[in-house]
Amino acid sequence: MEPRTRQFRQGSASALADDQIQRNLDGLYSGFHSARISASGATTNWEELRERGRQIKWHVIENLDYYLDLLATNVEKAGGKVYFAKDAKAASDYVVSVANSRGVEMVVKSKSMLSEEMGLNERLESEGIEPVETDLGEYIVQLAGDTPFHIIAPAIHKSREQVSDLFAEKLGTDRIEDIEELTREARRQLREKFLAAGMGISGANFLVAESGTVTLVTNEGNGRMVTSMPKVHIAISGMEKVVPSIEDLGLFLRLLIRSATGQMLSSYVTTVTGPRRSEEEDGPEEFHLVIVDNGRSRLLADEHLREGLLCLRCGACLNACPVYRKVGGHAYGWVYPGPIGSIVSPMLTGLSDAKDLPYASTLCGACKEACPVKIDIPRMLLYLRKELTQGDNYPSDKSVDSAEKLAMKGWRASVSSAGTMQFANWVGRLGQSLVSQQSGSPNLPGPLSGWTDHRDMPELKESFKSRWKRLQKE
Amino acid sequence: MEEAPEGMNERAEFLQRIRTSLGRSEPVTAPVGDAPPARGPVDELAARVQTAEGLANGDADALMDALETSGEVSGWVVKRVPSAEEAGQYVLEVARDLEARSAVHSLHNVVRDALYGDLFSGTGIELVPVEVDRASEDAESESRATLRAAMASADLGITGVDYAIAETGTCVIIPATGSSRLVSLLPPVHIALIERGQVLPTLDELFTLRRRDFVDGAVRSYMNLITGPSRTADIEYKLVTGVHGPGEVHMVLIG
Repeated sequence: MEPRTRQFRQGSASALADDQIQRNLDGLYSGFHSARISASGATTNWEELRERGRQIKWHVIENLDYYLDLLATNVEKAGGKVYFAKDAKAASDYVVSVANSRGVEMVVKSKSMLSEEMGLNERLESEGIEPVETDLGEYIVQLAGDTPFHIIAPAIHKSREQVSDLFAEKLGTDRIEDIEELTREARRQLREKFLAAGMGISGANFLVAESGTVTLVTNEGNGRMVTSMPKVHIAISGMEKVVPSIEDLGLFLRLLIRSATGQMLSSYVTTVTGPRRSEEEDGPEEFHLVIVDNGRSRLLADEHLREGLLCLRCGACLNACPVYRKVGGHAYGWVYPGPIGSIVSPMLTGLSDAKDLPYASTLCGACKEACPVKIDIPRMLLYLRKELTQGDNYPSDKSVDSAEKLAMKGWRASVSSAGTMQFANWVGRLGQSLVSQQSGSPNLPGPLSGWTDHRDMPELKESFKSRWKRLQKE
Repeated sequence: MEEAPEGMNERAEFLQRIRTSLGRSEPVTAPVGDAPPARGPVDELAARVQTAEGLANGDADALMDALETSGEVSGWVVKRVPSAEEAGQYVLEVARDLEARSAVHSLHNVVRDALYGDLFSGTGIELVPVEVDRASEDAESESRATLRAAMASADLGITGVDYAIAETGTCVIIPATGSSRLVSLLPPVHIALIERGQVLPTLDELFTLRRRDFVDGAVRSYMNLITGPSRTADIEYKLVTGVHGPGEVHMVLIG
């Protein structure tokens, strides 16, 4: 997927002006967000699970070389093949080479955000191989030539009327307004594809190192189809999805699913350990696991951001975030939106193209609160903001307005000395009165306008110090 | 046939890049730092297995009651019957209500017991067992294709289970000879038959028993945890069942 992370401001403005998107975003809060709160509340030791889940993920990330090696050895022991891909292109090359050597003309896919990250569908199409998304939301997104709006519910920005129009246009169906009927139509269309496909491509929710097992969490059953019907199954996964043993799955399935949809368990949890054994009745003849880096080792190498690799991709931080809930998934401009996306995207696509994302947060902490493994997202957003103001060492970024950098540096200098702060307060009040006289509404001029273009700055009637003195007397 | 790249160099480079990112230069032979396993160390696995099996047998009645409740919550139609014969009667009833023309079934013992004798004869409902002819390679591939077509066109799929989970209202199927991945997936209706003693309290006992299987080297390729019907809420959050898998699922608790 081509990053459009530069366009956060335009993207969010158009989402804010779109009534339908606003209505559908409201549904996230009353739907997923509330369901998560009930499900986690109904889990008696929820806080203990979060803490243990966090510890286990940290342990794995800090020993990722060890666990990936163990995983690969055990997948091979189970009769599967493993390919380590340093980037999106290497991963896509591998998938294409397997497909071509098996004469595959059509592949069925279950939902994988990594596949979006790789641009795998575009690549397959360019090779003359038809990719078919089979998750209902992803199917709609693919038919529309659109991109996912939410990692759990990719097409939640579309109305039933839009889906109806889309089916009529692309599938030649009659106009169907009923959501159940639309779903039936997708079932009919996709059932044919499952029966005919030469290859299935799935993502992975967890990779179990000790047994070489890929775990998938789904609700529709398409994940089961993709891993059972075609002769070849390829699972693609980011390198951070490892857990040590299958006994860790109880913990992580509870954390992931209850945080994602608020179900006690999703309709289906599927584990895949190599291809079909000779004594088994059905299943693919070949199984491949593609483990992908694609920039993740950059997160790993920075100890301030390494924590981002703990992410289970549940989407809870999106639903909890007051910014995501207004601007939606497309504004973030890449595969992973919301608070966690604001950390992951800049690292995978480059901070210089995503410099608005670390600022797309009020730092209210709702994301950290919602996160099943307690990722301290606000801390990392602040770290990225700090990097942006310095811009020189990491990540060699020169794109931030130097005046804003100067202003931030000035602020750092001013808070470090009481005398300068007094002076700055005085200048501030003076500055503000000048601004107010000019425009009638207190907006900051020139390089600092980014702070006030979209909100009014409250008037500073008195300095903090004089107000403090007054309040103490009262 | 052109082979896919073997990828050993990629693996070595990949792992080295991770080591470098972690500030290490050499591979480690064991994980560094404390590993806090979710359930406990592998050398205490035997004790956990014993506990899990003890719970499944010792609390069997209470676990059946709990499963009845959690199964309904997660969207199963739950039926309790005293015997396999009565389970068979219930299956026939469901099949008649559906006006089913054909039903596929696994060869779990409980299914054989339930679909005893000539229960379905004269009903006009064809029963297709999950059986693959392995006499020769040709016979095998032909038999697989026939079976798959039968499963794809069946109105009903009937299976036993390997385990059920009271915590979540879940049936667990680990496909083996006579037990398919697809019987519980392709037909629009699935009936799962569960016997006393198969119900585990929580997910944790299941994964403890699975870890035992892996450690013992008894590795099957697949496991499905099934918790209610196939469902989606991808259009306007409206819950719709029966997307790609069955929209109607029955859990029959026997004994």
